[in-house]
Amino acid sequence: MKQSDVLLQVTDLKVHFPLGGGLLSRRPRGTVKAVDGVSFHVNRGETLGLVGESGCGKSTTGLAVLRLVEPTSGKVVLNGQDITAMNRRELRAVRRQMQMVYQDPFGALNPRMRVLDIIGEPLVVHKLTRSKAEYRERVYELLNLVGLNPNMAERYPHEFSGGQRQRIGIARALAANPELIVCDESVSALDVSIQAQVINLLEDLQKQLNLTYLFIAHDLAVVRHICDRIVVMYLGRIVEIAPREELYENPRHPYTQALLSAIPVPDPDPAAQRPLDPALQGEVPSPLDPPAGCPFHPRCRFARPECSQRAPVTVDLGGGHSVACHLYDPAVAGSAAAV
Amino acid sequence: MASVQAETTAAEATAAPAPLLRVRGLKTVFRQEHGEVNAVNGVNFDVRPGETVAIVGESGSGKSITAMSILRLIPSPPGEIVDGEIEFAGRDLLSLSEEEIRLVRGNEIAMIFQEPMSSLNPVLTIGQQLAEPLIVHKRVQGKKAIRERCLELLRQVRIPDPERRLDCYPHEFSGGMRQRAMIAMGLACEPRLIIADEPTTALDVTVQAQILELLKELTRTRGTSMILITHDLGVVARYADRINVMYAGRIVERGTAQEIFNSPKHPYTIGLMESMPRLNQPAGTRLKPIPGQPPDLSKLPRGCAFSPRCRFATERCRQETPELTQLSAEHWKACWVDIDEAV
Repeated sequence: MKQSDVLLQVTDLKVHFPLGGGLLSRRPRGTVKAVDGVSFHVNRGETLGLVGESGCGKSTTGLAVLRLVEPTSGKVVLNGQDITAMNRRELRAVRRQMQMVYQDPFGALNPRMRVLDIIGEPLVVHKLTRSKAEYRERVYELLNLVGLNPNMAERYPHEFSGGQRQRIGIARALAANPELIVCDESVSALDVSIQAQVINLLEDLQKQLNLTYLFIAHDLAVVRHICDRIVVMYLGRIVEIAPREELYENPRHPYTQALLSAIPVPDPDPAAQRPLDPALQGEVPSPLDPPAGCPFHPRCRFARPECSQRAPVTVDLGGGHSVACHLYDPAVAGSAAAV
Repeated sequence: MASVQAETTAAEATAAPAPLLRVRGLKTVFRQEHGEVNAVNGVNFDVRPGETVAIVGESGSGKSITAMSILRLIPSPPGEIVDGEIEFAGRDLLSLSEEEIRLVRGNEIAMIFQEPMSSLNPVLTIGQQLAEPLIVHKRVQGKKAIRERCLELLRQVRIPDPERRLDCYPHEFSGGMRQRAMIAMGLACEPRLIIADEPTTALDVTVQAQILELLKELTRTRGTSMILITHDLGVVARYADRINVMYAGRIVERGTAQEIFNSPKHPYTIGLMESMPRLNQPAGTRLKPIPGQPPDLSKLPRGCAFSPRCRFATERCRQETPELTQLSAEHWKACWVDIDEAV
């Protein structure tokens, strides 16, 4: 892949949160390693899915990419510019290129602002329009773009349904003509009939405006539908990256396999269901106290002694498929690759 | 009285097994400043002994209000059950006194809610909360006997290390463990019917699968009936015997899981199926959403509530409300249009 095709490059990103010692003590009690050494890239015009269960660090990764939380270490490079090294003024300029669409269409919009001003806020912040008339014109254009009627501009968020509010959130994200949009569970809170409308809208806008999406979600059926490549996270680390078809047809990491087996398939024919992975017991451990070595080893049916001792290295399987698991590491005796 | 009941039971038994729960013409409204919200608007369905019946629908379809109406848990005011019959094991639950319905709740009919954290009491240990239904409904006496029974319940829902867990508070449990504890509480009195309202919606997918498998196994082995309320069609396909699809306070289609998924007959059900990204369809297939928005329940359209969003709607649909009519042994729909002819 040519270097110029990469819009976003994330290298060894870490986000650690100190845990406060309580009311009377300033000394931190420990650290939550929400994101612990994550590397991936997003190509221009593609949709990269970031999936995992709660506490896996997918949302924190999304926030750190936009520097809405400060990374502890690592690099985030957008369009060749290192965002992690920027001061506030430089950051403001580059933020135009990247926007976010949030999960909760009820919490993300200021209830006291008219839709006109919600959508127009980025235009004001980045000084993108020169006159009142031009401002209004642009907001109407954005409303049209997301399938809402421009005569809705004078209304307030409470007058809209969940699906319409999410459209307003998308219109606001598009206002500054960004290249990258981080969608954090953007369709998760919507009912299925409305969710399909918003998914189609996101797909149409991508084609029309050549957008790049970092699509953070836990619903693996939606992710398969919308994403070109998928990153699977577990407890702050990436366990597998693969193109869509490859991930769903040929998952390699035991966690990915278990995750896919757990999706309820909307088909009553037992043959259509993936057999539930019997080994998948227990829950995601607390990120406060992650297991040593490979974080998945206490729940993994293939776990061997080295899994609890050393963190696995990422193994490139070719074709854009990589996995962080001792099973595939040729350097580990008895691994699938070594056999 | 008893002989009359025996006769009807015998007559029904020749056609189908007598239902454990029979809901007819249920109407629940909420009175608000701006008028009445018809949350449940004439719902009929049965639950037979030992089966799992799903009620699926999107937000505002009335599925949860239906469930809460069965146990008379509707906050009043503003809510009120204005019409209908709810017959459970031969008794009309709507005519019971407050005292009598309390003896049914948690005892003969148990409810499992979506959010285990807000349904558990944060200042009581899991053991204390498990013991409550045993003491109140089953009159289990003696500290040792109660503790033994509680431990047994925790083992049944596979909570590891139950001796220690019994003395824990809810905040010390993970989300999945809390939901297991809720299920243990639901099972405590060996109910004949469990109402599970979005029991796994707040949980991660790997934990969801464990909880649903557990519920399926426990209901199958005990012959307990279950009403599974959910918006997730995937969950329904895997775990329900029969499915009721709700829209705007009414059941619009009912059938076996096979009928609903393989040959849906109501345009809304068909629309739901087409809206859903599926793992077994070619990736990149464009979704076909249902156009428009769900209706405002205080201003329902005339005729069929789905007609403004329905691509098959005719003039009749906009004038008259269709009732559920039988298509085959288990398959019912409330729609004027013959889909097979209209397509």
